Amino acid sequence: MSDNQNKKSSLHILFWIWVVLTVVGILVAIYGIPWLMPASASNTMHMSILTMVVFTVAAAPVAALVYSVVLFALAKWRYRGEGTPPDGPPIRGNNVTTSVWLVASTVLTVFLLIWGLALLASDATGEAKSEMTVNVTGQQWIWSFQYPGTSVSSHDLYIPVNTDVKFDVTSKDVVHGFWIVQMGIKINANPDEITTTSVTATKTGTFDIRCTEICGLNHAFMVTHVHVLTKKNFEHWLATQPATI
Amino acid sequence: MTSTLTSHAPAHTSGGGALRRLNFVTALIGGVLFGVLAWWLAHTFLDAGGAGYSDQVTVLTGCGWVVGFLLGIGALTGPGKWFTGRDQTHADEMYLAGKDLGRKRYFQYTTDHKVVGVQYIFATMALLGTGGILAMGIRTNLLTPGNHFVNQQVYNGFLGVHGMLMILGLIVAVAGPWANFVLPIQVGARDMAFPRLNALSLWTLVAAIPLLLGSLAIGAMDMGWVTQAPIANQAGIGFDLFAMSIITFTISTTVAGVNTICTVLTMRTKGMTMERLPIFAWASIFAAGLGLYAFPFFLVVMSLNLADRMVGTSFFVASGGGTGWLQENLFWLMGHPEVYVILLPAVGAMLEIASVFSRKPLFSYRTVIGGMAGLCGLSALVWAHHMFTTGWAPTLGGPFMLTTELISIPTGVIFLVMLGTIWRGNIWMRLPMVWVFGFIANFIVGGITGIYLSDIPVDNQMHGTMFVVAHFHYVFVGSVLFGAIAALCYWFPKVTGRYLDEKMGRISFWLVFIGTHVTFLAMFVSGMRGMPRRYSSYSMLFEHTNFVSTIGAYMIMAGMLVLLGAFIVSWRSGEPSGPNPWNAKSLEWMVPTPVPLENFEVLPVITSDPYTYGEA
Repeated sequence: MSDNQNKKSSLHILFWIWVVLTVVGILVAIYGIPWLMPASASNTMHMSILTMVVFTVAAAPVAALVYSVVLFALAKWRYRGEGTPPDGPPIRGNNVTTSVWLVASTVLTVFLLIWGLALLASDATGEAKSEMTVNVTGQQWIWSFQYPGTSVSSHDLYIPVNTDVKFDVTSKDVVHGFWIVQMGIKINANPDEITTTSVTATKTGTFDIRCTEICGLNHAFMVTHVHVLTKKNFEHWLATQPATI
Repeated sequence: MTSTLTSHAPAHTSGGGALRRLNFVTALIGGVLFGVLAWWLAHTFLDAGGAGYSDQVTVLTGCGWVVGFLLGIGALTGPGKWFTGRDQTHADEMYLAGKDLGRKRYFQYTTDHKVVGVQYIFATMALLGTGGILAMGIRTNLLTPGNHFVNQQVYNGFLGVHGMLMILGLIVAVAGPWANFVLPIQVGARDMAFPRLNALSLWTLVAAIPLLLGSLAIGAMDMGWVTQAPIANQAGIGFDLFAMSIITFTISTTVAGVNTICTVLTMRTKGMTMERLPIFAWASIFAAGLGLYAFPFFLVVMSLNLADRMVGTSFFVASGGGTGWLQENLFWLMGHPEVYVILLPAVGAMLEIASVFSRKPLFSYRTVIGGMAGLCGLSALVWAHHMFTTGWAPTLGGPFMLTTELISIPTGVIFLVMLGTIWRGNIWMRLPMVWVFGFIANFIVGGITGIYLSDIPVDNQMHGTMFVVAHFHYVFVGSVLFGAIAALCYWFPKVTGRYLDEKMGRISFWLVFIGTHVTFLAMFVSGMRGMPRRYSSYSMLFEHTNFVSTIGAYMIMAGMLVLLGAFIVSWRSGEPSGPNPWNAKSLEWMVPTPVPLENFEVLPVITSDPYTYGEA
């Protein structure tokens, strides 16, 4: 009787460790992740950050369960005597536990999948409505941007705000990775191939472009900026550029 | 008549004089001689003006080294005798098994599986040790922004060779020593199924290591460990040795994998049904089988790349009708299953440890076998999640996201079984178990961050950043290395008859455990804040997190040095352990220590699995 009670109260403790750790995990997800990530400058980036938060919230109870069992086991079941401990209870499995575990992990996985696929689908519909195109060319170790329909090219990228911009990306030599850090888009630049990605910048300002595929000696210095201008300023910028081609 | 017989007999049994004169030194001499010879021949007869001339010379030199090394160690003595119709005598076989040879047998083409296991321990230490030194070079270079501890060219070489040394080292870290030393005893066999192939796999691996280190010395490699084309085609002649090393290595693992599978399937003692196999044996054959699927891609991708460089083919050259995406596909067809080839033996060993040190049967034996099978199957179907941002086949993004996220279900099974085994046990916190607890804590981080990366919108942000680097280091360092060390601590008494020093082991554990979190948590933050990977230099934005990562890396190094110290001290003068220090029930603990040649006087008959704690 007392043994049974003892077991019940100790599982009580395990439960509360789990609750506390879960709450900590959720708080880290909600406050930590947006704080650590760059401030988003596009809806794509916003959804990336949101996804990380949601996934962390979903993972928090799982990780908390593992950590709370480990901590609880170390505190309660650690053998403190001399020599080899006596044998424990011969538990060779528990179909209920195994089934619950499998069902729970499957439900979580399906949720993550649906979330991801829905996000992908919404991205795909976004691509169809691109309003302008920029040709992006990577080469060791510089980015070039050319604006179709004009004879303008530049080494800093200029795009208008609230406009869906499609990037046709290629490379002159090796593989480079075209990444606009604060906008959550990335696509490799492959020689003799054109790959595409698109984004709608949601705020004006200057943001970072970095290369994400190792491309030789100066890979770390293959950086440039994207300047997001108001539509009017962008038209003005485009009109005042000298023709470079 | 009798006198002629007696005078003949010893001469005959000691016949094949070459066999008895070959060892590690003659192997080195043979390797260098043949390497020089191949270099000279290539230099003399190849067209110096032709494209790919220097690559041809380098590859042929590498081939010469491997062939010479294997000749010099005696790998071809047995087949040579067979071809000439002189089979090996019993005395030859005993000599090959290292009978009465003392320490000498560790430097020879010895077939005894226990000698091979010990040789693998040292080969693993060489791989992980040199990989670790390069890691320290990389982290030191990243200590402060704009630091030039090494120049960019050397730094890029460090990246590639560090990555490959560690991958090769971890592939053999558990499977090499323990699937050789322990596995045959665990299944009740006198040796591996193919003892000479066992020696072949070890010495082929040893031949591959100098090639990989040599590639760094002649250098100019900018391609990272993934050897992406076309940057790999730009790399200097170092890449030729790099690829040769991997080709040699894949031969070694294929031979070893076949041997492991055959041993478990055909050499089990009476009563050792598949259902009574220790879980480490299951994990070993799953890993070996998966390796047989994965590593041919490794061989192919490196061979095609060499062909592009040497003879002007264009498998991976877009302007010649090939595509770099082919290289990436082939590489990751190997690269993702390989993660589980690395992980499964470590998990298998740790499940053994969890059962022994909780004094409880393994929780749900069949579920974990199903889980491992699921991991193997799914791991062959997820490779393109490494290619979400390459632009290759965007429509396949969804399916690969599906398979990748599904793999978290069998991974969860491993946690279930681990925690279920510990649950309500009498937990004996000796050194092996300490590392197992470390594994559990680390692997959950590595696993969960993998789920973020499987989601394409997140991967579009995180791919190619330090976040990915931190993720897979949590898996490789935090999980696999911890498992490898746990296995070392667990089976060390069987090898040496002594305990691995508990106190030094614990100091090492805390240094490595804290160091792992310091290094890689900070690295997650570097990645989240936008630092791409493979950067030799970075902006002030990433200053603090990189500084912290480097300090953490030094802690890991310090911990590993303490472990090395414990290893040396304990091997020489550790506390004697007796044959079964952990009071475990699997067969390797039932034989004397040191384990005699051929392991068992009488082969045992098995009536139950080795997890009967609290039952008998």
